[in-house]
Amino acid sequence: MLSISRTVLLLLLFPGLLLAGGVYQEPEDFLAEVFNGEVPEAQVIWLTGPRKEVVKELLGHHYPSLRVRYWRQGQRTTWILEEIGKTEPITTGFVIKEGRIETVKVLVFRESRGWEIRHAFFTDQFHQASLNERHQLDRTIDGISGATLSVRALKKLAAMALYLDQQVRQQDV
Amino acid sequence: MSDRSNGGKRPRWRSIRVWHRYLGGSAALCVLILAITGIPLNHTEPLELDSRYIQSNWILDRYGIQAPQAPPSYRAGDHRVTLMGDNLYLGRRKIEGIYRQLGGAVLFRELLVIAVGDNLLLLTPQGEVIERLGGAGGVPGGIKRIGIESAEGRLVVDSSAGRYHSDANFLHWRRRADKAGSAIEWAVPTPLEATLKVALDNQFRGAILPVERVLLDLHSGRFFGSAGPWIMDAAAVALLMLAISGSWTWFKRRG
Repeated sequence: MLSISRTVLLLLLFPGLLLAGGVYQEPEDFLAEVFNGEVPEAQVIWLTGPRKEVVKELLGHHYPSLRVRYWRQGQRTTWILEEIGKTEPITTGFVIKEGRIETVKVLVFRESRGWEIRHAFFTDQFHQASLNERHQLDRTIDGISGATLSVRALKKLAAMALYLDQQVRQQDV
Repeated sequence: MSDRSNGGKRPRWRSIRVWHRYLGGSAALCVLILAITGIPLNHTEPLELDSRYIQSNWILDRYGIQAPQAPPSYRAGDHRVTLMGDNLYLGRRKIEGIYRQLGGAVLFRELLVIAVGDNLLLLTPQGEVIERLGGAGGVPGGIKRIGIESAEGRLVVDSSAGRYHSDANFLHWRRRADKAGSAIEWAVPTPLEATLKVALDNQFRGAILPVERVLLDLHSGRFFGSAGPWIMDAAAVALLMLAISGSWTWFKRRG
């Protein structure tokens, strides 16, 4: 009884405990949602040569794998990428249509701070964002106090997803 | 005049000077520790004290930092894959990333395939990560073990959802209906060679304790055990008394 009261008191005092990090959506469920249950076959893009260097420039370090998987339907590509906020990777899904971000969704957040980036008030800022010629987002994304590193990680991943989408579409030409 | 004012006894300011001397002597070591540790602690970032790690076995033993006794380890071809804590090693090379639950490692078409948790990690033989495959990549969840089918040389994953095999690019996964007698060479853990174990132990232990932590503990006295902070407190009180007795002596001698 005492422990229940304590728990209730804790949740009343710190409602953030209800909302903190974890698995918000399994990556496979995200894909099923994006493609209405009919997920196309995965394809891969290799991060080699100049592409590897551009990605390194965008992230400030090498991406931790040599190839990245994506799912494509027409001019729409979907990416599930990871970047470390402070110490743990943040798994994020991006849907890009004709070079512009359609959806950003934080799927797994493993850090103890900065989970606010999962909310629509933050991710909606990326809607219709694209890359300029210097491989930067074409708009300013407002930060969240106390979530600086997570915000930075998501901005980097958005730029990377847009760049890889560009690369995939260039292969069509 | 004041020297004789207390009936021929040693003047008070002189006895305070003696106390001052004793206090100074006894606090000197602690003051040295405080000063030597305090200066670098004021410059932690430029000196990168939080990203440099203690290598001394004596200090690591004192902090009780131990490497796992029998870490899970698999041999895949000529390669040795070992998990220590959250660190995954290919031979002596640490693979970038955080890993948990090593479930097997096999050599598949000149690539290393390593089961970590519910993911498959694809590595080049040099230790570069090609990809980390999870549920979104079609890898079945609840991986129990991985192996190579002898007849067709396919990678097989034994999972809680059944047995699956992949194509050469790991893009498609198909459920298998293995008949009795299907020859699959499953990855099995094997003990780590003694020399490699020692090398990995040192590497693992040498990447845990930041220099900053030890300096902070020396500064606060916690490095010296439970009595340490009290000794440092006593040194701080001694410093206070030194300031008072020094000022007193100086004031009296001038008077």
